Amino acid sequence: METIEKNLTTENSLKIIAETMERSRMTIAKNTGKPLILWGCMVAVTSVVIYFLWSKTGSPVWNLLWFAMTAISVVCNIVMDKNKEKAPSNEISRIIGKTWMWFGIFTTGLYLMIWVAYFILRACNPEASIHVDLTLVISLMMGLCGVISGVVMKMKSVVACLVLATALSVVVALVVNGPAQILVFAILGVLGLVIPGIILQNKAKNSQISA
Amino acid sequence: MEEKQTTFKPLDPLLHSELRLAVMSILIGVDEADFVYIKSQTGATAGNLSVQIDKLSAAGYIEVEKTFKGKKTCTLCRITDKGRNAFAEYVETLKQYLQIPKV
Repeated sequence: METIEKNLTTENSLKIIAETMERSRMTIAKNTGKPLILWGCMVAVTSVVIYFLWSKTGSPVWNLLWFAMTAISVVCNIVMDKNKEKAPSNEISRIIGKTWMWFGIFTTGLYLMIWVAYFILRACNPEASIHVDLTLVISLMMGLCGVISGVVMKMKSVVACLVLATALSVVVALVVNGPAQILVFAILGVLGLVIPGIILQNKAKNSQISA
Repeated sequence: MEEKQTTFKPLDPLLHSELRLAVMSILIGVDEADFVYIKSQTGATAGNLSVQIDKLSAAGYIEVEKTFKGKKTCTLCRITDKGRNAFAEYVETLKQYLQIPKV
């Protein structure tokens, strides 16, 4: 785009507007793709690790590794943010960021509340126990957040992946019990986060090449 | 029978330029964008982009803020309400032009 002001036709003007907006949208989409891949890998690996440790020891205490995973992923995200191509924020990136932030707050809060409730109940009645299908609840919340992200980015393939991942996870969470149930997050991590992240990255790359 | 309207509003000459239109198209979809980002998205040279940004700023279509990012200078651009209205009007006029049946 040089200084010479070409005689723009109406079609060309609309083409410039559409292409520029799409390229800008894709740069933002690319920046959403990388964190999805990172978090997806971390979730999948952690769930497999927890499954093995829980199966070997028989103790669900290994679920505390989720907190370690969150801390490591947040640090990796910050490092990645520093190195990535800076994209300006807009309403879409804000909605996606806030959606996942609230997912984090809700899941952490839910987990902590269950532990607190458990200890209070045990203090009152040593025989008491709490039964909450946390895997099912978190799977649904994660699926919903992913679908919202896909919808606001107008990415049908991302929405389709998330719907499939959530449906599969919910079925597995309802059918399987015990340590194996934690593998639901491996499904969600790969199908619901890593694959949509790769789709976003590829779309952004293709749009930059075609531009 | 009502006569079909054949007069059209002229296109805003300030926006009817390849680079200025691209700059406005970027800024319409974001809160603000820095000079480096706009340059990478438009593929324009720094000198040319700077001239076009000044023209848009002088017309009140965009606001330009010079800040610092660490030790480096950073030029932030954001669209104004006047610019947003001008862009919307430009697109509407374009649509009107495109509706003319081609002979």
